[in-house]
Amino acid sequence: MIAVEHLVKQYGGFTAVDGVSLDVQPGEIHGFLGPNGAGKTTTLRMIAGLLKPTSGRVVVNGHDVGDEPELAKAALGFIPDRPFIYEKLTAGEFLRFHAGLYGFDGDDVMDRVHEMLDLFELRRREHDLVESFSHGMKQRLVMCAAFLHRPRAVAVDEPMVGLDPRGARLIKDVFRRMSERGVAILMSTHTLEVAQEMCHRLSIILKGKIIAQGTVDEIRQLAGGADDHLTSVFLRLTGGSALQELDEAV
Amino acid sequence: MKGAFTYLLLPAIWSSRNRAARRQHGDLTRALLFAAMGIGVFAALFFASAWVTWQLDGYEELGDYLLRLGLSWIFMTFLAFLTFSGIVTALSTFFLSDDLRLLLTAPIAARRLFYARFAKTVAQSSWMVIVFITPVLLGVGVVRCASATFYITSALTILPFAIIPVAVGTASTLLLVNVFPARRARDLLMLMGFLFVGSVVILLRMLRPEQLMRAESLPDLTGFFSSLQSPLTPLLPSFWAGELVFASLKGGWDPMHAGALWSTALVCCVGLRVADERWHFSGYSRSQEAPKARFARFRGIDLIARTLPLSPVRKQLLVKDVKIFLRDVSQWSQLLLLLALVLIYLYNFRVLDLGRIPYMSGFVKNVYALLNLGMAGFVLATVAVRFVFPMVSAEGRAFWLIRKSPVAMHDFLWSKFWTGLVPVLLLTETLTIAANELLDVDPLLKGVAAIAIVFLSFALVGLATGLGARYPRFTADNPSEVSGSYGGVAFMVVAVLLVIAIIALVGWPSTTYLYYQLRHRPIPSFRLALMGTCFVGAIALTVTTWLHGMRSGIRALDAMSN
Repeated sequence: MIAVEHLVKQYGGFTAVDGVSLDVQPGEIHGFLGPNGAGKTTTLRMIAGLLKPTSGRVVVNGHDVGDEPELAKAALGFIPDRPFIYEKLTAGEFLRFHAGLYGFDGDDVMDRVHEMLDLFELRRREHDLVESFSHGMKQRLVMCAAFLHRPRAVAVDEPMVGLDPRGARLIKDVFRRMSERGVAILMSTHTLEVAQEMCHRLSIILKGKIIAQGTVDEIRQLAGGADDHLTSVFLRLTGGSALQELDEAV
Repeated sequence: MKGAFTYLLLPAIWSSRNRAARRQHGDLTRALLFAAMGIGVFAALFFASAWVTWQLDGYEELGDYLLRLGLSWIFMTFLAFLTFSGIVTALSTFFLSDDLRLLLTAPIAARRLFYARFAKTVAQSSWMVIVFITPVLLGVGVVRCASATFYITSALTILPFAIIPVAVGTASTLLLVNVFPARRARDLLMLMGFLFVGSVVILLRMLRPEQLMRAESLPDLTGFFSSLQSPLTPLLPSFWAGELVFASLKGGWDPMHAGALWSTALVCCVGLRVADERWHFSGYSRSQEAPKARFARFRGIDLIARTLPLSPVRKQLLVKDVKIFLRDVSQWSQLLLLLALVLIYLYNFRVLDLGRIPYMSGFVKNVYALLNLGMAGFVLATVAVRFVFPMVSAEGRAFWLIRKSPVAMHDFLWSKFWTGLVPVLLLTETLTIAANELLDVDPLLKGVAAIAIVFLSFALVGLATGLGARYPRFTADNPSEVSGSYGGVAFMVVAVLLVIAIIALVGWPSTTYLYYQLRHRPIPSFRLALMGTCFVGAIALTVTTWLHGMRSGIRALDAMSN
């Protein structure tokens, strides 16, 4: 459903993403892990059509994002790490506008908006301005918008940041339900517990390159510690020696 | 509707409606004040335009010729303004605007997004021109008893006239952004823009247009306007617009220039759309790349701060404020415009022809000295509202850093005060002393004005700092937004009243002294006492404003921390 092929992004002489390839099947939740500055957000922004790749291509639901951007974007829901929401619109107005961007018209739009607001427990705030929302509520509103048009694939950047335990559980439930309905989800996260609990497969990126790919068990074996917790595996693969230095500094 | 480009403009319309429906504290006062100011400017432009047209009416064909040239000249000035404004606005609407992050992930056709953004760019770039040109054309129309055709033609002329330069400006931006990172291009444009405006303003003033107002200068007037024409002028949209409006004023119709204007506007739109579809995404993508920070380190500021007898907290706050200000081109480049205005201000005093009224020159000079004090006070208020008032808000989302540190709000705000006071005092004191020297006013007035401006600086900088802390806008995108907030407007109202009060309190005793001095008579003792009371009153008023402003600001910040 989401196919990334040899994706490269260079900023002048600096290569932020270096030949990344990955594939997310319908119904799969694919974890995208890596330390800060590894190239996760840049990759996701290229998938969403916000950044132009230096080379390589992204295909969503059979449509190349570069060649057929409208068809590819229509099939994708994107949840960025720093989402933009019109602060002076109400939650209902924002979702109605968002539905219009995806070509939704008619009487059933508001039914769908209400369905999403109910799902993400925001119905009571439908007529409140977005500027009065907490970070967690804004995050849930963006997710409402991302799932509003019934996307076939979703790319999500750090979905759990700023959410309380109840909010985090809600999001996990929604992602699982969507995955069961055949939606492909590519999720970048730092919360390794979430990745371990939810993802069918993982890709670990370091300095712009994919260094490991597979199920959690396959990655454990790759790192040479079959029974280890994912955190230890992740640190071993991405250079955990920095942690020791951190310990000494503190 | 949902497929039309206008659908993408809905958030702006809904946001405005919501803002109006959910008014915040002071919004109504601010709206009324701005409306009153707007009506005042509109009326002034209308009457000025009507007066000039009425004057020119007396010169038959020459009057018509001058009116025609004048219209063409006004449109030419706006052409330059709209082109530059188009470049700057397009940078924001097409490349830096936050909502693009949302819109570009949606399945919207590039063409649809282009039309929505271009409509927004044209509206944002040209509203000021429309606000200015409407009363001017109305003034001309009313005096010439123009028919409805004139007003309809004018309205139909302004639209394509605005589209053409804004399209050229947008195309330049498209090119620039594909060559430089957008944020670097914005800094470059800001600097160039302020330099350009400053130079034009100085140049126009140096032409001494006031000489053209004399009756004996009428032949020079035609020469003055003619010198602004060139062989290229008839090829410019400003010429077509001027001709079109003038023809309709005379009751005729100019299909050639109307055709030229509308067809060029159409070609510009289509050409720009094609270029946008080809290069917008690559430009937007480049604009998302964080430019490698190339900045001045300003080691000198650290060295100077080290020598200052300040606590480490105040020293670091000072260094931070100065460095951030100097590294933000959009901030300090506005000082260039201010510098140009100051130069013109001083130049006006230099060319002041008081010799034409020899018997009165001594008295008039001293009245000018008081006027100068008032002007310096208004410059001071403007600088304070623009640069000092937003200083607390400028901490923005980083204000938590101050609040969680063991820094007393008292220390924090006083540091802001001194950082603002030194440059403001230097500027206004230089302005006052230099202007009074050029005027060669009485030594007493020189001294009084120099001392008064010191007290005024303390009062207005203290008030701006305090009110800035009482009405902060930590989420504002830029300082202009903070200056235009309720607190900023309230500050300007209080500042203007204070300047007027100080001029009255200082002016009356000074002119009384000069009155008795001119007549070589001693000042009666009760008058002397009254004069002393006025001076003491001025000192008390400024000191109270200063300290009260600061205290209320500190209290507000303390309340925020509690």
